[in-house]
Amino acid sequence: MSQNTMQVMSAQNMRKTSTRQKITRVLSQTGVYAFLGLMAAVVLFPFYWMIISSLKSLAEYRLSPPTFWPTQVLISNYSEAFTTASLGMLFKNTMIVGIVSTLLSLVITIFTAFAFARLEFKGKELLFALLLATMMIPGELFTITNFATVTNLGWRNTYHVLIIPFLVSVFYIYLLRQNFMQIPNELYLAAKVDGTSDLKYLWKVMVPLSLPTLISITILKMMGAWNSYIWPRLVANDEAHRLITNGLRNAFTDTTGDVNYPVQMAAVALVSLPLFLVFVFLRKYIMSGVSRSGIKG
Amino acid sequence: MKKVISLFLMFAMLFSLCSFATAEEAPAYDGSEVTITFYNTMGSNLTAVLDNYIVEFNKLYPNIHVEYTSVGSYDDVREQVSTEITVGTQPSLAYCYPDHVALYNLAKAVQTLDAYIGSTAEITRADGTTEIMGLTDEQKADFIEGYYNEGLQFGDGKMYTLPMSKSTEVLYYNKTFFDEHNLTVPTTWDELEEVCKQIVEIDPMSIPLGYDSEANWFITMTEQLQTPYTSATEPHFLFNTEENREFIKQFREWYQEGYLTTQKLYGAYTSGLFTSTSEIKSYMSIGSSAGATYQRPAKLDDGSYPFEVGIATIPQANPEHRRVISQGPSLCIFKKSNPQEVNAAWLFAKFLTTNVDFQAEFSMASGYVPVLKSVAENPAYAEFLASADGGDFVSALSARVCLEQQDAYYTSPAFNGSSTARDEVAALLPACLTIPDGVDVDAEIQKLFEKAIEACNYSL
Amino acid sequence: MVESKQQWKAWLYLAPAIILLLVFTVWPIINTVAMAFMEDYSGLASIGGEATFRFGFGNFTRVVQNAEFQQALTNTMILCLITVPVSTLLALLIAVALNAIKPLQKALQTIFFLPYVTNSIAIGMVFAAMFNVIGSVGTRRPLISSYGIVNDLIRMFGGNWVNWINSGSEYWANMFVMIVYIVWNALPFKILILLGGLAGINKQYYEAAKVDSTPRWRVLTRITVPLLSPMLAYVIITGFIAGFKEYTSIVGVFGESMGPVHEAHRLNTMVGLIYDSLASNNQGRASAAALILFMIILVVTLINLRVSKKRVHY
Repeated sequence: MSQNTMQVMSAQNMRKTSTRQKITRVLSQTGVYAFLGLMAAVVLFPFYWMIISSLKSLAEYRLSPPTFWPTQVLISNYSEAFTTASLGMLFKNTMIVGIVSTLLSLVITIFTAFAFARLEFKGKELLFALLLATMMIPGELFTITNFATVTNLGWRNTYHVLIIPFLVSVFYIYLLRQNFMQIPNELYLAAKVDGTSDLKYLWKVMVPLSLPTLISITILKMMGAWNSYIWPRLVANDEAHRLITNGLRNAFTDTTGDVNYPVQMAAVALVSLPLFLVFVFLRKYIMSGVSRSGIKG
Repeated sequence: MKKVISLFLMFAMLFSLCSFATAEEAPAYDGSEVTITFYNTMGSNLTAVLDNYIVEFNKLYPNIHVEYTSVGSYDDVREQVSTEITVGTQPSLAYCYPDHVALYNLAKAVQTLDAYIGSTAEITRADGTTEIMGLTDEQKADFIEGYYNEGLQFGDGKMYTLPMSKSTEVLYYNKTFFDEHNLTVPTTWDELEEVCKQIVEIDPMSIPLGYDSEANWFITMTEQLQTPYTSATEPHFLFNTEENREFIKQFREWYQEGYLTTQKLYGAYTSGLFTSTSEIKSYMSIGSSAGATYQRPAKLDDGSYPFEVGIATIPQANPEHRRVISQGPSLCIFKKSNPQEVNAAWLFAKFLTTNVDFQAEFSMASGYVPVLKSVAENPAYAEFLASADGGDFVSALSARVCLEQQDAYYTSPAFNGSSTARDEVAALLPACLTIPDGVDVDAEIQKLFEKAIEACNYSL
Repeated sequence: MVESKQQWKAWLYLAPAIILLLVFTVWPIINTVAMAFMEDYSGLASIGGEATFRFGFGNFTRVVQNAEFQQALTNTMILCLITVPVSTLLALLIAVALNAIKPLQKALQTIFFLPYVTNSIAIGMVFAAMFNVIGSVGTRRPLISSYGIVNDLIRMFGGNWVNWINSGSEYWANMFVMIVYIVWNALPFKILILLGGLAGINKQYYEAAKVDSTPRWRVLTRITVPLLSPMLAYVIITGFIAGFKEYTSIVGVFGESMGPVHEAHRLNTMVGLIYDSLASNNQGRASAAALILFMIILVVTLINLRVSKKRVHY
């Protein structure tokens, strides 16, 4: 066969494969959307239910069979949720605790993860295993001892007590360590040769490279402050330090100790909103990743 | 001679005992500056009432500063207080159920009230008037007996709590339907069976009765039949008896016939079934007297109610021995290192439970019933009761029924483990009712009872 | 010389975390161990002063001999072994799919994150409502007010309705509901972590694969999964740890009775047993149960770590 025909054939082949590729591409793309659409519907349904419940009257909420759309839309549940609890104070407290504890926690997590990922020291493996082990004991058992500790420290009804005991999260240390481990060692050694200090290397190289993970941690930690309930209720249930979830939960128990669920659902929706917005805002940072990652092997 | 000496010694001992007792047991508030803390579950509509009466209280005792916290639900209060007891920072007084007090008693943290109730020490109030530290005979007699006795349910004959505001279970029925079909409201369980039979014939798509609380149903039956349930002293768990298995078996028959259901069995609030506008509904509902407004159907477009609600005492096993449960919060006072704080807490608890105006106003705001007989004569409360009807003022109707059955209230023994017993019978009753036809029902019931007793014993 | 300096520095970096852990984690753990070996220890009773607690293994034997122990252990194991692989696989597929699309990407990412921002108790109630059959199921005269939205859908497609969680329901029907709920709950966290990991993967790999026209699934198994392996190891290991601590999700759907009406406690878990003991102020027994659970999780995690050491590419 001449060289010419060979070229023609391969060109034909190329075209064929490219149309076939196109078809499979379209098909698989449809498949991907169908899959995502279905999963999204499953994920969304409970929210739909929560929203319609938050718009019902208590009588209708208790009705059986349940109604799929409130016969009478009660927007007033939201205003009631908003006014019953003194939301301004609750938001302020939650913001203070959320922001301070997130920042401090990030610093501690970065240092600790760095030590475990990059530095060599005796007993590293053992210490890390022990750290992981602490995650495995159900935290409810810590409550009583910790309660005694903070009482003895005189921290009841302060911001300290809401921030300090939970600054260290092995979950996040472990997550960040996994990320740090992916950054090639050569980079670190090169930096050493250049005389860059560890701290500078950590700040200039490792932190930027792990930005998506750090943002994930930020979101998770903020979420924690937002949703924390049992501990804050126990140690700081005074007006001046009460956090949002507590404030909202307390506000809607009626005289019989029953909960006005529709209003509470409205409150849950209201409380979720800021977090939702934070996510929408930070989403692109999580997704964009590190564009200047020419470094990675 | 020996006899004389021993007799003399005995007298001396008796005498010293008496003097010792009087020396220790006459607590009196000395007017000193104290702050007392009060944990409760009040929503904002009730704390508004409380605020007003704290002002009133401070007119009498300006040096007692009351700080209260709405902790959340009753369970939240229990958690909070029992944790605080472990470090000694418990509040001065708190809302409580008898089960909670039994738990706190493990730590001996609750102040018994007998010495306070009996104290005749005279205290001068800020407005110049005086009162005795304890309860006067009139005050004691004014408490509705069943409620007051709840404080004595702890197996040692001592008084631990004062009743704050109470509720019970009542029978709600669809009065419009009952009148239309000439049905009589059942007063006994036998009559109930008969009425259910009639209702099912009239409307085959109905489940005539919904019973809200499985635990209350079981415990109330043991009270009505005077069969064993629990005891504050060991052995604690006594409910596995022939008679109890027998009434459960009877209930199973009714459930299988479709005469009745409970919240867990039905899968939703039985009040929702009662007020339902769909084809499947009930015509009777047994639920908390404080939840009367949930048992009222939603208004139609023209502003009227689709049916009128009637309220009656729940069916009884023996009309001569009527029994209905007593629920709702009491107040307990905690031991504190500063005796004046305990004294102040007692005075405040006494104020809340014996002040007729407060009891009246609080009852109207909460839907609970007052714990004092004389509240019925309070003008505002009397007007409230007079307004009672089966529609807009259904809460008043419920309160009236509660007040009419004052002789029937019971409370069950409280001890560490009594809340487990309650949880277990709440699960036991529906489990027995759902035993399908075609198996050995007696053997199954026996097995389930034994399992429940075992679970109770494990909690000790 | 250099080495000892590194040692010293490492401990400096670790110091804040270690100090806090000593006070708020290690000290409570020591207390837990101590309580576990004091027979029938009760915090409130010890305040009361009269009770004395014998040293011994009594708490452990009572926990293990409890009729519910075996059931709780089985439930916990089943939930773990099913929900962790299922949720990890689904999260991986969703994360990769999200990464591969352009239109609607933002909206879908936001939707998949939604379950994370809400209160788990509220959502548990919603799930129960979806599967709840309201009526007198299984009596001689069954009347059904509502089959629940899930059964409505099944019936719409011509299927028979299922008794998911109500009286007379089968064990596996209960389990199915729990698995769906737990997977649903676990997804957003896993998707978030995996998306973060995917963002860190160099686009060059995919471009190379495109030029070679490598099929999609091959790209997934040969490029994405290996490069994502540290994050996958993370979500699997923490998933198992969380799975063994499953409790609130069951309360959310079945309530405190931890089972359907005709058989309370049927779905109890290991942490449920701990809570039962705490509720009756039996901290000794609760601690013993916690230590037993701890040993189980420890073994599973060590196995996980061993496997991941071989498979994970850093």
